[in-house]
Amino acid sequence: MDKIIPASWRTQTKPDFFCPGCGHGIILKQLGYAIDDLKIQEKTTFGIDIGCSLLAWDFFNIDTIQTHHGRTTPVMVGYKMSKPKRVALAYMGDGGGYAIGLQSLIYACFRNDPITVILVNNGNYAMTGGQMAPTTLPGEVTPTTPDGNPTGFGEGFKGPELLSTLCAKNAYIARATVSKPLLLRSVLKKAIKNQIDNNSFSFVEILSICPTNWKLGAKQCFSKLADVEEFYVPSEFSKKEQNVK
Amino acid sequence: MFPVNFQKRSKMLSNTKSASGGNKINIIFAGEGGQGILTITKIFTSAAFKSGLDVAYIPSFGVEQRGTPLVAFITLDNSPLRYPKFDVADYVVVLQSRAVEAVSQFISPNTKVIFDSSTINFALLPKTSIQLFGIPATSIATSKYNPRSFNLIILGYLSKVFNLKPDLVFSEVMLLLGKKFKSKEAEAENKEAFYAGYEMVPERDNFSKAVFKPRQGAILVKGHGKSGEILPSRCKGCGICIAKCPVAALSFGEELGVLATPVPKVDLERCIACGNCRNFCPDAAISIDKI
Repeated sequence: MDKIIPASWRTQTKPDFFCPGCGHGIILKQLGYAIDDLKIQEKTTFGIDIGCSLLAWDFFNIDTIQTHHGRTTPVMVGYKMSKPKRVALAYMGDGGGYAIGLQSLIYACFRNDPITVILVNNGNYAMTGGQMAPTTLPGEVTPTTPDGNPTGFGEGFKGPELLSTLCAKNAYIARATVSKPLLLRSVLKKAIKNQIDNNSFSFVEILSICPTNWKLGAKQCFSKLADVEEFYVPSEFSKKEQNVK
Repeated sequence: MFPVNFQKRSKMLSNTKSASGGNKINIIFAGEGGQGILTITKIFTSAAFKSGLDVAYIPSFGVEQRGTPLVAFITLDNSPLRYPKFDVADYVVVLQSRAVEAVSQFISPNTKVIFDSSTINFALLPKTSIQLFGIPATSIATSKYNPRSFNLIILGYLSKVFNLKPDLVFSEVMLLLGKKFKSKEAEAENKEAFYAGYEMVPERDNFSKAVFKPRQGAILVKGHGKSGEILPSRCKGCGICIAKCPVAALSFGEELGVLATPVPKVDLERCIACGNCRNFCPDAAISIDKI
């Protein structure tokens, strides 16, 4: 039976700085339970990016590094190189992972660096006011696309699909969603275990909600998330066959 | 460029003397993103400008939408304004305890500090602040009007202090906020709040009891073979647990959480102890289990 609060959470800093109803809280809770279950609190290092994800800087009783924007992946890769026995988690948003930090992410995957990247996708740049991001769905209204996101900018960035074309054979690539928290926890556990057991890259994209910038209540947020899940289908991705030799 | 009306200018700041002795008045507004500080400073400056004063308005805020200190520097002058920066403020308006640190370097013993005494403990203000004017705006707004109209009470009081015509200021309010008042009643309520602020006598000592505090510890619930706990000190009132409860056993109760929003209450007879509320709650504030 789960406790009300994960043992790896830092209770002194609660309530945290996230907006009411933020999906980060749900994800970090399941990550906390996953860390408790795997008993890796002592040997984990948690790297966070700029953006809403940086508000997790004092969230856990875990060593935490706050990096430059989009540079969480290379910092954690370097950390893992110098301390191979530690568990390196890189936590970022879709802006940090798919926009400014994309080449770092692709090369970490390409080299099969043994870190776990957790990317939270809420479809906008939430901290600066919900502007259009690479993951914004076509036709979606944001402050920078008041007439709806035109398809000329691309139809939504599918990160796990991209990484699965160039990842190594034993890498773990998956997409999960906050609407199924227990599944999310098992996916996070698999991703962390893949780093420890197989010493290879693992990547989890998590579809999240943003009540503040979507300007929706709790119930409507989850019904919108169901639409998002039809576009970005949550599943596990194995290495594409044409690249297997 | 300037709305040249020098006769009007000479009258305006007659009863307000600045720290430097001249008629140039330096004002700092400080609060937190989301309180409506930017809105009231915009209204205040445009009303002062339309009354014939020279105005400089320099807001300073980060990229974050909420939770960080927000400071606005305003200079009013009844002769043409040459230089808008200053080291010592004549008036400081502080509306959030976390913003006090951002303005403490601008406070001198001559500075008049206007603060929301219902959310800021006066002991938190720096020792250099001697002239204190407390306005319990939040508690008045919550008890009599709408919690969100607290900034209009402050604005009403400030238009009294700076001799601005209340009707002119409220017409500026309607220009900027008119669309947000959904009904005539909401508009009347906010107008009432504004004029209540205009008539308000500030507290010079015996300040109101500061800071809203949620109930500490957990609300324990037990019965029907289930037990659980709900923590108002962590609940932000997002309503996800209520939306995700499969049997509609949860609803908003009367207890208030950390952001003064209602905390959910549970109907244990309906509850099936599925654990959805615990798994979805982003703030670890609720958990119900079978015994």
